[in-house]
Amino acid sequence: MMSKFALKTLDLLQPFFRILRIDYAMMRKILETKLTMDERRTPTIFASDASNKKKDSNQFVKSLLIYVLYGLILVPFLFFGNNYIFQISLIFGISMFILMTSMVSDFSAVLLDVRDKTILHTKPIDSRTISAAKITHVAIYMSMLTGAFISIPAVVMLRIHGIAYFMLFLVAIILLILFIMTITALLYIFILRYFSGEKLKDIINYVQILLSVGIVIGYQIVARAFEIVDFNYIYNFSWWNVFIPPMWFGAPFELILNRDTSLGMMILSSLAVIGPIVSVMFYYKLMPAFERNLQKLMGSTEKTKPKRWNMNAMWEHLFCRNKEERQFFRFSSLIMAREREFKLKVYPTLGFSLVFPFIFQFNYLNLHTFEELSHSNMYFTIYFCMMFIGLVVMMLQFSSKYKAAWVFQVTPIVHHSSIYSGTLKAFIIKLFLPLYLLLSIVFLFIFSIRILPDLAIVLITAILHTLISYKVLNNRKYPFSEVFESTQQSGSTMKSFLLMFVVGLFFLVHLFFSKIIYGVYLYLVILLVTTIISWRIVFKMK
Amino acid sequence: MCQEKVLSLQNLSMSYGSKSVLNNINLDVYAGQIIGYIGPNGAGKSTTLKIMLGLIEEYSGTVELFGVDIATSGYSYKRKIGYVPENAELYDNLTANEYLTFIGELYGMDKSKAAAKAKNLMQQFDMEDVLHTRISSFSKGMRQKVLLISSLLHNPDLIFLDEPLNGLDANSVIIIKDILEQLVAEGKTIFYSSHIMEVVEKISNRIVLLKDGEIAADGTFEQLRKQNKQGSLESIFNQITGFDEHKQTAEKFVQIVTDGDYDE
Repeated sequence: MMSKFALKTLDLLQPFFRILRIDYAMMRKILETKLTMDERRTPTIFASDASNKKKDSNQFVKSLLIYVLYGLILVPFLFFGNNYIFQISLIFGISMFILMTSMVSDFSAVLLDVRDKTILHTKPIDSRTISAAKITHVAIYMSMLTGAFISIPAVVMLRIHGIAYFMLFLVAIILLILFIMTITALLYIFILRYFSGEKLKDIINYVQILLSVGIVIGYQIVARAFEIVDFNYIYNFSWWNVFIPPMWFGAPFELILNRDTSLGMMILSSLAVIGPIVSVMFYYKLMPAFERNLQKLMGSTEKTKPKRWNMNAMWEHLFCRNKEERQFFRFSSLIMAREREFKLKVYPTLGFSLVFPFIFQFNYLNLHTFEELSHSNMYFTIYFCMMFIGLVVMMLQFSSKYKAAWVFQVTPIVHHSSIYSGTLKAFIIKLFLPLYLLLSIVFLFIFSIRILPDLAIVLITAILHTLISYKVLNNRKYPFSEVFESTQQSGSTMKSFLLMFVVGLFFLVHLFFSKIIYGVYLYLVILLVTTIISWRIVFKMK
Repeated sequence: MCQEKVLSLQNLSMSYGSKSVLNNINLDVYAGQIIGYIGPNGAGKSTTLKIMLGLIEEYSGTVELFGVDIATSGYSYKRKIGYVPENAELYDNLTANEYLTFIGELYGMDKSKAAAKAKNLMQQFDMEDVLHTRISSFSKGMRQKVLLISSLLHNPDLIFLDEPLNGLDANSVIIIKDILEQLVAEGKTIFYSSHIMEVVEKISNRIVLLKDGEIAADGTFEQLRKQNKQGSLESIFNQITGFDEHKQTAEKFVQIVTDGDYDE
């Protein structure tokens, strides 16, 4: 239904495609097929079941709702008077970040689909038509996504600033999408030219992670920005402004609505038009090169150098009791570092746990001085870094290559308890410890050496909490042995929320003991003993 | 055998960076031939196929299909080619019917005609009941049959097959072999690339062996047998590719496997 509408709309643009010497009928056919496939994406579990076509609603359409919510972030900016260059540049800066990261994370699969190579390029079709189908495919989604994103701001805009402002905004945002799409593609062309396909996949993975961290942290920053930024600031054109694309799109508003015809505004405004056009032209020129380099994604003959194992070997021998535990420690460390889907689901939360402890301190600083902060007990915010432990421990049972777990079943593993203890240790040492150390160092700078015993308590609590999370959520035999889709089982989500309360509980106990003289040390000893004993019990060897 | 030249490679060379993949290949293929295109891994078989299909453009030398140079002729020559890729790549979110119709249309066929033909062909493989089922649920053999149908739907004159029998059961293999023979009798040309020597030996009426990017042998099976004084294509292959150490390698391998350093 949605794809029919998109294709109908596209039919209106037919003459445009004909000018570019594109076989429109063929392109439409390819798009129609691609859109049908998209509607069927994701739930792999039901793959064999073609009969329930009615349930085939496009996952993407559902995700549009989230973008409508994201759009709310733009609304406050609309209330900041008529200092357009500032206001619009900020709006376009945020839009550009969100749209571009979404483009990379959600539509790279379309741009980089190597099946096209064998299926489409071997057929009697002009390669220009195939490229056009590809970019149009992305464009359809980008325009829907952008439409969702600006829907709420658009309504507000019409009410506050009127129709002229709105129309100008519409034109500017279309230019922005064009610019983003082609710039992203050009970026891929560049990366594929000089790096391997695997590197590109890694880069995309990190952009996806950046997107999820960026949005949450971005909200925090924007919410605070209004307290810092002076909106009556008078703008002076500087030469470096031409390198900031969001400013290109802010300038036309000044130029047309505020009748600011200074040279700077003229230059920036013209860039708003020239920039997208030039990038489209570059894209058109370089597309064949891109298709050729896509070949790299098909065969990766890249040789990875064996890395120095010294560090890992050291950790293994320090913390693991037997050979099997060591094996699983090593195996889990590798999976955690390499599996893209795991990283995508887990690394953003690592980012949050690094940032959240400080967000609350910033709040505190709004009312107090730094001196007061360093004498306060705000160091307890470090407990926020423990929030994610439950989630990650839950994730440890999933993998996109879950089927490979048959090797655990057919091999004669003696100490089954060592499997998960090795995995949990790998998590603590490889993911949690670096984070914890980083936070601790900063916290020691802020709060001085006096909090050292408290930090020790936090570390041991984290280990105990990992164990509890494992007991509550996981308790399975083999790590990385379940399919990711089953993550959404409501039970485990509930449980992982409950585990956050457990963290709160730990915090309260800690707080209680910190009020008693030497209580902290007492608590440290109690905690240490409890943790050691419970670890022994949970992973007892038969 | 009619002597219409279908395919002609002249001084074809290709290199990835400094690594040379194809080195001065000269090959003429005539209508009605089944070429068994063999060679060890990395000899350049797939690269040759990709060049002829227009997937790789930065080669040197001339590639002529149906008498025209593909570097200058544009894409329309692909209409007469059918292709079964090596690793069963297809859009498996589509049903067999949707996929086959789509591919037929890509080859310029009429939609209803492509659909009807696809249905008929699927019937011959006893797969009419899965015509409207998504390919993602198909077994490897079923996918391979869909791929084969998709490559023949538009009645091509030149057919490139890269391991086409992958995953097929013994009965299906017999059917496919017969199909290929009859297609050739109709004057089609088949370029058959595989690692399974027994099949190549039986099917092909001409064998081209590629080694390190060069043609190391070219002729009928009988000719190769005379030249190399070997009984089977497999041993001819071993001899020409200079691989005569298989006994020693096997011995060494088993020795390492059974070496008693396994501690309990």
